[in-house]
Amino acid sequence: MKDLIRIKSLLSTEVEELLNQQVKKEAISSSIYLSMASWCNRNGFDYSSEYFFKQAEEERQHQLKFYKYILDMGGNAISPEVTGIKQEYNSFREVFEDALDQEISVTQSIKKIYARCLNEQDYITNEFLNWFLKEQREEEYKARRALELFEVIGEEGTGHWEIDRHVGKIKYESDAN
Amino acid sequence: MVTTLTPTSTHTWENVFSTASGAVYQCDAENCWYIDFVGKVAGFNYRCLQKLKKAIYHIDIEAKLLDTSKDPDVEIIFICACDHTYILTLLQVIALKELLQGTFVMLELNSILHDKLYRTAC
Repeated sequence: MKDLIRIKSLLSTEVEELLNQQVKKEAISSSIYLSMASWCNRNGFDYSSEYFFKQAEEERQHQLKFYKYILDMGGNAISPEVTGIKQEYNSFREVFEDALDQEISVTQSIKKIYARCLNEQDYITNEFLNWFLKEQREEEYKARRALELFEVIGEEGTGHWEIDRHVGKIKYESDAN
Repeated sequence: MVTTLTPTSTHTWENVFSTASGAVYQCDAENCWYIDFVGKVAGFNYRCLQKLKKAIYHIDIEAKLLDTSKDPDVEIIFICACDHTYILTLLQVIALKELLQGTFVMLELNSILHDKLYRTAC
C-alpha cells in the first residue's frame, strides 16, 4: 500500500497546524504594530510611528514566509482571521512594553514548533525555522532596547521627545549577529 | 460521486481500517481513499479526506450529548469542494470519528513502515 499522505505532504498534521497557528500569530503581530504606529503618530511620536510601521511590514513578511513554506511542502495554508486588536494605550511606555511582550510570545511560539519538529525528526522544518530563531534575537533586542531608553533617558521634561528620536535609530549590529 | 463497493475498474482497494459500522479502503491507482459508511461508498482525495477529518474532529460530541434542547439530533457534514455530504445522527458521528481515528493511525503506521523498510533501510 502506497504511503499516500507522505507523497502529498512533507508536513505532519500537527506541524502543519502549528505552522498555521504561527501564520496567524505573525498576522496578529503585524496588526498590533500597525495599531501602535497609529497611536504613536496620533500622539506626536513620529519616529516611533515610523519604527512600528517598519515592524508591521517585517511581521507581514514573516507571515508570508510561513504561509509559502506550508504551501511549498504540500500543506494547506490558512489565511487567518485577525480581530480584537488593541487600539488605545495608556502611555508611551506601555506601547513598548506590549511590543516586547509580543516578541517574547512569538519567540516562545517558534520554540514550541521547533521542539515538535525535533520530536518528529522533521529536520527540514527545523532548518526553515533557524532563520526565524535568528530573527527573534534581533526583534527581542530591538524591543528590549526601546524599553531601556525609558530608563536611561528618563520620562521627565523632554524625555519622551528624546526617546522618540532614539527609537528611530535602534539597530542590531552586534558582533554576535 | 457515489460509488458502489464493486468497482468496475480492475483497481485494487486495500482495506485500511474497518469497524462494525464501516470501512476505509485505499486505492493506490487512483491515489484516493474510499469510505464505506452509512450505506454509501464515497471516494476522497487527500485534501478532501483531511477536510472530512477536520469537520468530524471539530464536532463537540460531549456538548451535543448534554444538549437537552428539542433540536433534531442530526449533523450535516458538508465539505467545501468535495462531492459528498453526510447527514448523520450523533451515534453515526461517533462511529465515523472512530473509523477515521483508526484510519489515520493505520496510515501513520504505514508511513512508519515505509520509512523503516524502504526509505531508510540499507
